[in-house]
Amino acid sequence: MQNLVEINNLSLIYQDLKSETLALDDINLKIQPKEFVAIVGPSGCGKTTILSLIAGLIKPSKGSIKINGENPNLKSNLCGYMFQKDNLLPWRSIEKNIYYGLEIKHKLNKESKQYALDLAGKYGIGDFLKKHPDELSGGMRQRVALIRTLSLKPELLLLDEPFSALDYQTRLELCDHISNIIKSEEKTAILVTHDIIEAISMSDKIVVLSARPGKIKAIHQLDFDKSLTPFMRRQTDKSKQLFDVIWQEIQNEKQKN
Amino acid sequence: MKNKRIKRFSKNHYDYLRKYRTKKALILITQISILLIFIIGWELLTRYEIISSFFFSSPSQIIKTIGELYSSGELFLHSAITLKETLIGFLIATGIGFLVAFILWYCDFLRRVSEPYLVVLNSLPKIALGPIIIIWFGAGSKAIIFMCILIVIIVTIMNILNAFTSCDKQLIALTKSLGASKIQIFFKLVLPSSVKDIVSTLKINVGLSWIGAIMGEYLVSKAGLGYLLIYGGQVFDLNLVMTATVILCVLASVMYFAVAIFEKIVNKHYHS
Repeated sequence: MQNLVEINNLSLIYQDLKSETLALDDINLKIQPKEFVAIVGPSGCGKTTILSLIAGLIKPSKGSIKINGENPNLKSNLCGYMFQKDNLLPWRSIEKNIYYGLEIKHKLNKESKQYALDLAGKYGIGDFLKKHPDELSGGMRQRVALIRTLSLKPELLLLDEPFSALDYQTRLELCDHISNIIKSEEKTAILVTHDIIEAISMSDKIVVLSARPGKIKAIHQLDFDKSLTPFMRRQTDKSKQLFDVIWQEIQNEKQKN
Repeated sequence: MKNKRIKRFSKNHYDYLRKYRTKKALILITQISILLIFIIGWELLTRYEIISSFFFSSPSQIIKTIGELYSSGELFLHSAITLKETLIGFLIATGIGFLVAFILWYCDFLRRVSEPYLVVLNSLPKIALGPIIIIWFGAGSKAIIFMCILIVIIVTIMNILNAFTSCDKQLIALTKSLGASKIQIFFKLVLPSSVKDIVSTLKINVGLSWIGAIMGEYLVSKAGLGYLLIYGGQVFDLNLVMTATVILCVLASVMYFAVAIFEKIVNKHYHS
């Protein structure tokens, strides 16, 4: 199968007045369509930087990123970026928030609106369209953010710790929810997280990064039964074994510093 | 789809509503009482010459003076002149200030270049420029309006620019990730998120533009409320001074309320 994302010899150097920092060093990664990839690693290892590079928010210092054979481009419609914060605009109703991306891309029309509203209805936001963000719970708001992203029909979802601002209960629920949404909409996704279990519970492939400068330390291919939800995956012994392996890898990295 | 509201409330809710309304009424009653006590007290104290009515004037004198000014046509003349100067100054300064703030937000280079100039201009007491303004613009309305603009514009630029630049970085990142142009970022995100600050700048500007106009009139005027104040002061006609002050209070409040109504309309428009 053709790769959706190909990252070759990617390096990134951050410049500031006092120093330059090698944030990512020689990253090579291939992601297939409909694959769910998680990136874990010690904090400050450049996990989020990879997403920013793929989205086209920053340019690589060395190497290349190809999405469907193209360079990352903010104007293209390939990537949908979801942040740690839901970033809903407080002065807009939920409905108008969902249309935000469509408005900016000049794609707000009858069909795109209908598509967005269908998504909202399908994933339990339908009754809240006229409310404002401050009237919704954290989990709901994050779901609205996902629908805003999905309504643009991106090929590739970039999830930057989208659950970390939520309480534990909501987090588990939302993991199941979003995993289900991504599977049923047949999207490719890259999830950045510091939570190893969360990575194991949701993904097909886990990339472990080393401490700064971030290099790929290991890649784990996961082969869970397709019918398991993230919550069910958490319960399995396989998860626990894998957790120990990845935990050790990250621990070793921390000690190096 | 309107929000469904529960039609019948519990007893608790009615209690809550009653308490809320009582408190609101109490605040209003107290506010009016203070004003009435002030006016009546002032009137009584001067009528029985406990304080001198020559130095303090009195409400009845003020009403009489207003009547006189009205019948001679001066009331409208002086108020209109000052109001016109204030409004023109307010609108020009706010408009240009807004535009400059937008340009400085848009172009980071210009913003940094202008920073020290803005700081100096802001701390400079504008009244010090009085003589220059008179020489440049002559002793007329133009000079007064210019003084007014000068006082309002720097604060406007600084406040609005500050509102623009303090827009949530995460929201900007999101909007950028959606492929927005800088103009789109401004109109879709930065401007609506600055609405509150812009409205409060307008409120400050109402006060400042009155200061500007009166200060300008102190310098050069032949008519206007500022002129009445100066003239009244010079001939020791405290009735005239107090009357002009009262008219100023009324006009300034009317303008403030106009901005408050504008605020309501804007809020309604943006919260959709």
